[in-house]
Amino acid sequence: MASGPPPSAAERYRPNRFVSLPAELDPATYDTSPEKRRAEAERLAIRARLKRQYQLQLNNPNPPAVIEDPALIRWAYARTLNVYPTFRPTPKTSFLGLLFALGPLLFWGTVFKLDRDHKEKLIQEGKYERPFSVF
Amino acid sequence: SEMSKDLLPGPYPRTPEERAAAAKKYNMRVEDYEPYPDDGFGYGDYPKLPDKSLHERDPWYQWDQPDMRHNWGQPMHWDFDMYIRNRVDTSPTPVPWHIMRRHFLIFLSTMLIMFGLGGLYPSYRPVGPKQYPFNDLYLERGGDPNKEPPVVTHYEI
Repeated sequence: MASGPPPSAAERYRPNRFVSLPAELDPATYDTSPEKRRAEAERLAIRARLKRQYQLQLNNPNPPAVIEDPALIRWAYARTLNVYPTFRPTPKTSFLGLLFALGPLLFWGTVFKLDRDHKEKLIQEGKYERPFSVF
Repeated sequence: SEMSKDLLPGPYPRTPEERAAAAKKYNMRVEDYEPYPDDGFGYGDYPKLPDKSLHERDPWYQWDQPDMRHNWGQPMHWDFDMYIRNRVDTSPTPVPWHIMRRHFLIFLSTMLIMFGLGGLYPSYRPVGPKQYPFNDLYLERGGDPNKEPPVVTHYEI
């Protein structure tokens, strides 16, 4: 009748958009195959090359005034100057643009207009009760 | 900046050669490089890195920039400024997220339902009408002092 022992904390854990899976629970980080080892070695080689370039600039007897980080420049460029050239009107982008750019303007415009027209009608009929009135 | 055009981000890579060139530009392996899907959103060829915050990076490794846990030349996540250590934290939680969410929703809904019911169906201790002294405040209410006030009894024996 019993359905076995309750699931352990490790089995209950599920990653999602907000939290990630720890390396201890991720089977992809367990026994590494030769391909994974080679991939790690290549990544290490790239890292070491970048570290060397950085350390050479850092320990230079005549160091430059500012050691620019090309990754930072690319990041800033991609987020600012590269958005418009790579933008393309597709059904998805047009729909989202309508929804988030035009939608709130039209929505709040109609809400305020209807509210003020209703208040004007009440004032004309003499039925409007002034809030915070001193009389 | 003075970087040449081929070192700056560009449009979405279409051919395998463009992919390889983009991977080399961003200091990544060709197999690791994965651009954002070409939906016209404006990402271009920027790599799609895993959505992990800086809290998850090794605190004991000697980073070139220890506060940002970032090495010189390492490709930065598109939302890098969101994932810094002062802001969004995606590190694994001791309790799974769906259990935390379930407990929170149970508590919140219970409290809201009880407050709503209490507002719709309030209940107080039973009260009777207020009893005033001095013949029901006869003089204070403008009664004639020369006439006899009407006797008001609030009790029954």
